[in-house]
Amino acid sequence: MAEQENKEEIIEEQKHQSEELRIGVYICHCGKNIAGSVDCEEVTKYASTLPNVVIAKSNLYSCSDPGQESMKKDIIDNKLNRVVVASCTPRLHEPTFRRMCEEAGLNKYLFEMANIREHCSWVHLYEPEKATAKAKDLVEMAVAKVALLKPQKEAVVPVTRKALVIGGGVAGIQAALDLGDTGYQVYLVDKNPSIGGRMAQIDKTFPTMDCSICILAPKMSDAGRHSNIELLANSEVIDVSGYIGNFKVKVKKKPRYVTKECTACGDCVKVCPVEMPNEFEEGLTYRKAVYIPFAQAVPAMYLIDEKSCLGIGDNTCAKCKEVCGPDAIDFTAKEEIVELDVGTVIVATGVDVFDPAALTEYGYMKYPNVITSMEFERIINAGGPTGGHLVRPSDMKLPANVAFVQCIGSRYVSEKKGHAYCSNVCCMNTIKDCLLIKEHWPEIKLYVFCMDIRAFGKGFEDLYKRAKKAGVVFIRGLPGEVAENKKNNNLILFGEDLTSNKFYKMETELLVLSVGIEPRTDSGVIQRLLTLSKTSDGFFMEAHPKLKPVDTPTGGVFLAGCAEGPKDIKDSVTQASAAAGRAGILMAKGSVTVEAITSRIDIEKCIGCGLCTKVCPYNAITVNKETKKAEVVEAACAGCGTCGAECPFGAIEMRHFTDEQINEQIDAATKENADKKIVAFCCNWCSYAGADFAGVSRMQHPPNARIIRTMCSGRVATKFVERAFRNGAAAVLVAGCHLNDCHYINANYETKKRVEKLWSKLEKLGIDKNRLQLAWISAAEGEKFASKIKEMEKIVEGVTKAEIEKTVTALAPKKVKKAA
Amino acid sequence: MIDKPEILAFLCNWCSYAGADLAGTSRISYPANVRSVRVMCSGRVEPSFILNAFMNGMDGVLVSGCHPGECHYISGNLNAEKNVESTKKILDLLGLGSQRLRLEWVSASEGQRFANIITDFTSILKRMGPNPLQKMDQLKATSAKGDPISEVVASSNIRLCLECGKCSGSCPITRMNPDFSPRMTVKRVLSGAEEVSVDDPGIWTCLTCGLCQERCPSDVHYIDFVRACREKARLMGITETCSHKDMLLDLQRIMANPKINQRRLGWLPKKAKVSESGDVLYFAGCLPYFDVLFNDIKADSIETAKSVVKIMNKVGIEPVLLRNERCCGHDLYFTGDMENFEKLARMNVEAIKQAKVKKVVTSCAECYRTMKLDYPKIVGDLNFDVVHVSEFLADIIEKEQLEFTEVFKDKKIVYHDPCRLGRHMNIYDTPRSVIKNIPETDLLEMERNRENSLCCGVSSWLSCGKLSKQIQIDRLTEAKATGAELLVTACPKCQIHLKCAMNGELPVKRSKIKVKVYDLPVLVEKALNEKTSKRRK
Repeated sequence: MAEQENKEEIIEEQKHQSEELRIGVYICHCGKNIAGSVDCEEVTKYASTLPNVVIAKSNLYSCSDPGQESMKKDIIDNKLNRVVVASCTPRLHEPTFRRMCEEAGLNKYLFEMANIREHCSWVHLYEPEKATAKAKDLVEMAVAKVALLKPQKEAVVPVTRKALVIGGGVAGIQAALDLGDTGYQVYLVDKNPSIGGRMAQIDKTFPTMDCSICILAPKMSDAGRHSNIELLANSEVIDVSGYIGNFKVKVKKKPRYVTKECTACGDCVKVCPVEMPNEFEEGLTYRKAVYIPFAQAVPAMYLIDEKSCLGIGDNTCAKCKEVCGPDAIDFTAKEEIVELDVGTVIVATGVDVFDPAALTEYGYMKYPNVITSMEFERIINAGGPTGGHLVRPSDMKLPANVAFVQCIGSRYVSEKKGHAYCSNVCCMNTIKDCLLIKEHWPEIKLYVFCMDIRAFGKGFEDLYKRAKKAGVVFIRGLPGEVAENKKNNNLILFGEDLTSNKFYKMETELLVLSVGIEPRTDSGVIQRLLTLSKTSDGFFMEAHPKLKPVDTPTGGVFLAGCAEGPKDIKDSVTQASAAAGRAGILMAKGSVTVEAITSRIDIEKCIGCGLCTKVCPYNAITVNKETKKAEVVEAACAGCGTCGAECPFGAIEMRHFTDEQINEQIDAATKENADKKIVAFCCNWCSYAGADFAGVSRMQHPPNARIIRTMCSGRVATKFVERAFRNGAAAVLVAGCHLNDCHYINANYETKKRVEKLWSKLEKLGIDKNRLQLAWISAAEGEKFASKIKEMEKIVEGVTKAEIEKTVTALAPKKVKKAA
Repeated sequence: MIDKPEILAFLCNWCSYAGADLAGTSRISYPANVRSVRVMCSGRVEPSFILNAFMNGMDGVLVSGCHPGECHYISGNLNAEKNVESTKKILDLLGLGSQRLRLEWVSASEGQRFANIITDFTSILKRMGPNPLQKMDQLKATSAKGDPISEVVASSNIRLCLECGKCSGSCPITRMNPDFSPRMTVKRVLSGAEEVSVDDPGIWTCLTCGLCQERCPSDVHYIDFVRACREKARLMGITETCSHKDMLLDLQRIMANPKINQRRLGWLPKKAKVSESGDVLYFAGCLPYFDVLFNDIKADSIETAKSVVKIMNKVGIEPVLLRNERCCGHDLYFTGDMENFEKLARMNVEAIKQAKVKKVVTSCAECYRTMKLDYPKIVGDLNFDVVHVSEFLADIIEKEQLEFTEVFKDKKIVYHDPCRLGRHMNIYDTPRSVIKNIPETDLLEMERNRENSLCCGVSSWLSCGKLSKQIQIDRLTEAKATGAELLVTACPKCQIHLKCAMNGELPVKRSKIKVKVYDLPVLVEKALNEKTSKRRK
């Protein structure tokens, strides 16, 4: 079917190509914003001389209603089939003018903008002549491109009304419940034998001090028995293919070795001879090889830990099987692979707790009375190993005083011993823990050693004040070292009190390390399966930190809970509902329109080498094993164009940013005075926006750069750069998002590779490689863009005519050489 | 102008000065090239005074006191004899010649003898020629160089200090002297008062042991910072006198003089095989000097060098030893004397390059850090490898080139991490693996070990004092508490400092801290099987 659509598209294109080109060009004054430094009338006159331009007009405000109406009238009256508006940045008004074209009956992809405001009039305020010349170039480049533009049809794909939620902590449970209640089928997958996550282990929650498992357990059982939720506990997602609305997921269900006949009588536990550290109790106590994770576990089923059981395989032990009344032990159980079809995915994989063993100065695992805050939660929990009696491990006695040390593993600049970020929950958790102790044992003296207390949320400051009132002593200044008093296993803390600048040496009976949280060590698996990105701190990256905080760059995949960054229960639940809402929008509509800017394979030229499949950040290209041709899954393609830049055979057409279109722009930009010009390739999301920002901020810079916009710097093929140099350009700039900030996951790493390759080629040819510059410029770095152009202007000044001639010959096509 | 050769004479008040007086009253003439300094007793004359005289261009130094048994202060003159003896050895090592230093007993009645001595000494010195050292420039404040503190602030994380106070909580000095706060030194810079840092006595007290840096959440490079403060202080004309009255730093400054031509290889046993060229160079560092200077505490520093050469010979390596090897300059670098440090770095690297070796083995943790980390800052990339002897030993043990006896069977050994090797260079496991490979040893760990290790209490000879002694006693107590019979370290300076603490006056029972101290190569050498020898294939 795809092939047929492809053919239809080609026929449609040919129809358009046979049409006579009728281009309308509109130069906007934008009041004095453009006309103040650019002679708009002269530009208009120049535009009218360009090939295929039938109308060239200037407009006071193109975006105004009268402005749009007059253009619409022109399109209809003069049968215009291509339109160029030279005004502001397309990032602002391209949607406006595209709608105008559609209203006049023209395909919106037959429209192009020339940015003569942000990239020209505003940044060359004091050089009107040069600004006018640049505006002419920009218009000419737009006209050259528009002539080659093709109409595009935006594809609509169906969305399967089922969702996958990965991770059964409070965020995953909430997202699953919200979607299930809306009426969608949900698969809730958890790696662990029970859902519940970290929240199930915690004793009380801040700032309300209500019991954690008491508020979580009802939600767990709601999820467990919800008619729309299928629980896949003890299971792992092992494969994901497909795209937004149409994911195919493989889930591995690990065997429990205990069947549904289990009545949870617990006879098996009594006879099991194996003892293992109990994960749920943070290793403070033991469990058997056959066990139930915790009292409130959902599903409320026993299971056998295959790693420690002595019976699985050769049945040597099998004591549990002997005593089991309902005969619920099945040693022959095998793992099962379940295949699911879902339209949306919510990632709620949660976090790990920081292991303080790396901070050897605090003596964790060396001194018995140094514990983590997570261990403390189990000790203070009535359901925990001590029945909620606060005791210290060395002598199982109630301590007379307890010290907490904050920021363990958090706010470390170097990753060697911790993480750079604030873990967000530890301050309030410690305050809560202090109040819990004070509630039961007011006589216990409490000391909190911290840098500062971050009590920023609703009700947090109140809780902090309550703790102070209860007599908790907050000391600013972390201990540098903890030693043990060998006589009584007390701990001696050495540090500096920052408020008095006095050195302290303090003895305490129990020390709680308030540990931070960190990305799960296995988060890389989910990252790879769903082509997600991570921010520098290792958490999954949102599509936009402010405006799309629960979306991911992969369509149809959303984030909930701590997988996206450290957060407390309330924020996790809020985000889970938001993610469910976002996923619900897609599924409610039942279909989704995907960007027309995608790539297309020219089957004639494709040899099936597979280079494109390696660079695609979305796994959207595969080589068909039968036809030996590459195929694009358009719904998965995000349109970065990296494949097009990589293809050595020109077999990939990047819609709306084709090789021919970009070549025409390069040629137009270098038609005159190329030896004084910089051809700048800027990615749409960061560097082009950065140049816009320089414009909005009126950061003046030399007027010699000609910007060519591509969706991603990954689109910039080496041949484009070579073409610019071959046309005599003095310098070329390739600019993209900062590494790891790429809008297309990691496509800019390909950019880096290509530019490095070009550098070594230029060096080999004896051409100054400084003439090709690579820059990572974010949308916020207008200053960086302006200074980069200033810096490159110096390079341009230094390039001699002879050098340019040498470059032109050195880069001349090889065929010419052969003929000679 | 003083006549050549110039002689400086230290004369004791009661005998020799009076003897010189008698020569005067008796109108006995002697050469006019002598300048005398009166001291109450010849025992007052410290080796550093003598060295200072030579550094200032004196051609000869005379120390003169009462005859033995006639000392006005019972036995002060015998002390003088000891000092002069060791200083003579140092002068020989430096290649200046021990004959330039003379000790004579002159009583108040021996005017003629005094004149004769001067006459005789003058003619000897004339024969020897002038002192190759020229008068040193006095340290003056200069503003020629850039500001080292600003450079460190700009190129490091200092501004990221979170003020958590972990540094002060970690610092071994703060523990003894609560007024010292690394955090406050940084804070002064953070609040814009960089100049104040220079006046802060704390910059000289710091051991640069790196414990604070190791634990700093903000990765503030406190070691570099303190070093830069010292450099700036020096540029401003502020210095701190080091232990042994600067003598050990002066020795390094003398070695920084290109005219110095040392005779430092006298310790080499006759059996030892060394060569002029080859792949491996052994950089012995200041061991021959330490051996002389710390003879009183039985530092036995040269044993380390002898052991290294012996082990190398055993595995078929005939190491290159530089005849005129100079101090690596670590102490000058860490006290901010960049001028002389640069000279040493350049001369050493030049000499090593001329020997065309591939690998330089150092037995000193400080030489190791300095050559590997700091030399490249001065001379760029080195075209030879620098390895610490622990790495060298681990390598040949792994290749099974050494055969051991069970002489250390069941010996409880504890390893002390030198800060230059551990926290500065991140080498913790290698020396331990060497010890573990010696058969049947029982390697123990002190309470504070590896990255948490406590410093030996002194660095760059700067900070020796009450605090140092307390730190050393703490460290030795910790070692003893493990039940260890032997403390092994991998830095000759740690050895000197720990041995010094054991030899001095103690506030605790000696038995609480007394433990045998070995340098790592010495331990390995003692465990070698003498009878068999395995050759490299």
